[in-house]
Amino acid sequence: MSKADTLLSIEGLTIGFAVRRKINTVVDHISLEVKKGEILGIVGESGSGKTVTGLAVMGLLPTSAIILSGRIHFLGKNLLTMEEKELRRLRGGEISMVFQDSMTSFNPLLTIGAQVEEMIRLHSKHTREEYRALTLEALMEVGLTEALEIYNRYPHQLSGGMRQRAMIAMAMIAGPKLVIADEPTTALDVTTQGKILQLLKKMNDKYGTSMVLISHDLKVIQSICDRAIVMKDGRIVESGMAKELFIHPKTKYTRQLVASAPVLFSKSNGEVKETSYNTHNEEQKEILTIEKLNVYYSEKAVGLFGKKGRKQVIKDVTISVKQGETLGIVGESGSGKSTLAKAIVGLNKEIEGVININNDDAKSRLVSMSKPQMVFQDPFGSLNPTKKIGWILEEPLKLQTNLSKKERIARVNEMIQQVGLTSEYLERYPFQLSGGQRQRAAIAAALIVKPKLVILDEPVSSLDVTIQAQILHLLKELQKKHNLTYIFISHDLNVIFQMCNRVCVIYRGEIVEMKEAKELLYRPQHEYTKELLKSAMVLKT
Amino acid sequence: MIKPNGNTYSFNYVLGLSITSLVLLIVLIGFFYTPYDPNKMNVALKNSPPSLRHLLGTDNFGRDILSRVMKGAGTTYIIAVAIVFIGASLGTIVGAFTGYFGGWLDEVIMRLNDVLTSFPSILLALVFVSIFGPGSYNIIFALGVLFIPSYARVVRSEFVVLKERDFVKNAELMGAGSLRIMFVHILPNTKRVLIPALLIGFNNAVLAEAGLSFLGLGVQPPEASLGRMLAEAQSYLLDSPWYAIAPGLMITLTVLGFSLISGGLENEQG
Repeated sequence: MSKADTLLSIEGLTIGFAVRRKINTVVDHISLEVKKGEILGIVGESGSGKTVTGLAVMGLLPTSAIILSGRIHFLGKNLLTMEEKELRRLRGGEISMVFQDSMTSFNPLLTIGAQVEEMIRLHSKHTREEYRALTLEALMEVGLTEALEIYNRYPHQLSGGMRQRAMIAMAMIAGPKLVIADEPTTALDVTTQGKILQLLKKMNDKYGTSMVLISHDLKVIQSICDRAIVMKDGRIVESGMAKELFIHPKTKYTRQLVASAPVLFSKSNGEVKETSYNTHNEEQKEILTIEKLNVYYSEKAVGLFGKKGRKQVIKDVTISVKQGETLGIVGESGSGKSTLAKAIVGLNKEIEGVININNDDAKSRLVSMSKPQMVFQDPFGSLNPTKKIGWILEEPLKLQTNLSKKERIARVNEMIQQVGLTSEYLERYPFQLSGGQRQRAAIAAALIVKPKLVILDEPVSSLDVTIQAQILHLLKELQKKHNLTYIFISHDLNVIFQMCNRVCVIYRGEIVEMKEAKELLYRPQHEYTKELLKSAMVLKT
Repeated sequence: MIKPNGNTYSFNYVLGLSITSLVLLIVLIGFFYTPYDPNKMNVALKNSPPSLRHLLGTDNFGRDILSRVMKGAGTTYIIAVAIVFIGASLGTIVGAFTGYFGGWLDEVIMRLNDVLTSFPSILLALVFVSIFGPGSYNIIFALGVLFIPSYARVVRSEFVVLKERDFVKNAELMGAGSLRIMFVHILPNTKRVLIPALLIGFNNAVLAEAGLSFLGLGVQPPEASLGRMLAEAQSYLLDSPWYAIAPGLMITLTVLGFSLISGGLENEQG
């Protein structure tokens, strides 16, 4: 490529944060180029320095960050030595950004229209009417067809996908040459994710805008990027054409990254790859039966004498779960899957219907095994921040068994090793553990009372992809060892198909389809299931 | 000063810590040793200005002011600690129950709380003391009860948020009872707001005690307390200003020190 084609070039960029009078390097001698009209993907796990790199280009680094060396050239001009006034002109005008969380990146007190419009007001001179017309046009462009209505809405009145579209409109409206999108789809449902990525691609095709797409998700990077860079611990591990890079990874880390991404669709031709299932035994007895379950949420009464409202979240759900199997529940946010989980374990009291948990042989053992346990999505929220891990693991034993102190400690030690941690971790507080370690501790806390049924509510959604694979592996191992029954809740089809024998698809509180995992994958019947599968496919191709 | 995580504490926090340790040191020494007997009168040395023998001068009965400040501050502190103890422990219990259970009990108790807070506390304390008579035990009790609402409110608002967290749901799944969840699982998590509230409460208690003793309703003569001494010094303000300056400065330093510390703590936690 000739020099003229280069839009952005970074040479030997090193950024550090000052901690305890030492400098902690987070970005280490990074060099990269973005050419005109291309989409460059930066993939890496949390802490790999990908976001900091993005912020450095925008000149939006936090004050505690220090640029130790390197240059960032945009169209031949060094951004790091540029006057603040000129930088401001570039920001938004020439380079703009799309953030992950569209809720917090919009001002909640201003209408969408006013905020999108402000972007062109700052970068061009027009009359009032022209500004308004341009804004409406930009909103239409990103697929917000009812632009007039959206213009006057406030951020909280839009869905996540719509807000992200508005954010893209805002990033594109001043006709920038480069858009940096930092995890633009991470906070969205899978069906919406695909659409947002297609929109970015469309903008790239139509206007020739270069893009830097930052994500932890290989599928996202693969779906629309021309070239990609893999980052780890602040360094570039590997770079190349996106298609090549992930099919024939050269370095060990990239291979590990590719291997740990849950594979449902094979890499080369987009066909379905089979995952190993536990053999499903028809003779196994049922451990849980749910009949015609309705779950409600009471809405807060308005005013002192206002009437309490009641909202139905789950409608007529009938499920049975056999011992030793894994039932997947898949659905988008707000579909009621977490509510269903809470109802099963008894945390939600406003229910109608029958929930029957079979615990015939509970009496014959020392330990009560009747209660199903639960593993929550966010291990930081589910572990008490003021208690040590050892205390957290011992607490359920204190409450549910009459083991002596010595026996309890022995059980705690045994359990912590089963989840792949050492006894040292018992003396630590949750905040001293990494996300993956915390989730292991949370699994240990759920399994320590030897339950037969465990409900896993998005257990890997908040984890990095390599950690995800480890946790899923651990869960399978523990299931085999203790003959556990899982109900696995997730919005991620890949994870679901990797773990589950049977899958039920839940949509707006109702089960729209429930069958064997393979069956569902090959022959989906309900429209919604088809759409879910399709959007998972889109991400892959 | 360096924190365990390597960042430095704010200047205000360090200043507050220094002032408070100085004041506490003076009070602590006062419990065991004072230069003179704080209640011993000496007519010959009436209203003498600060000198080498009497560093802060003497009062209208010829008593050593330094000794009286040391002893008097001790009395004030003990009363303040007792007030905060009563207010905080009962307030925490009320806050925990109303916050955790909610419902009509919450409504009723919090409205009672509002009623109590809508009167100036010094006025209610006056009413109480005029019924039961003055004296340090009575003001401890009166102010202690009046301090309940502020703690109940702080603790309740934390409980309302924390009870929705997953670790509480987890504790429920483990089979922990309500009392155990409230006081073993949730309560330690409120320390973020409870500790600054205790420090501020102590300040308010010191000021309230001083106010009531100033009005002659708290500590009775000849016992010294900071408010009592200010009241006595009032008549000699122009002739022997050192009499008022010593207890006044002591109150100021106490309140300033604790405010700076609690402000610093709140900033740390962001």
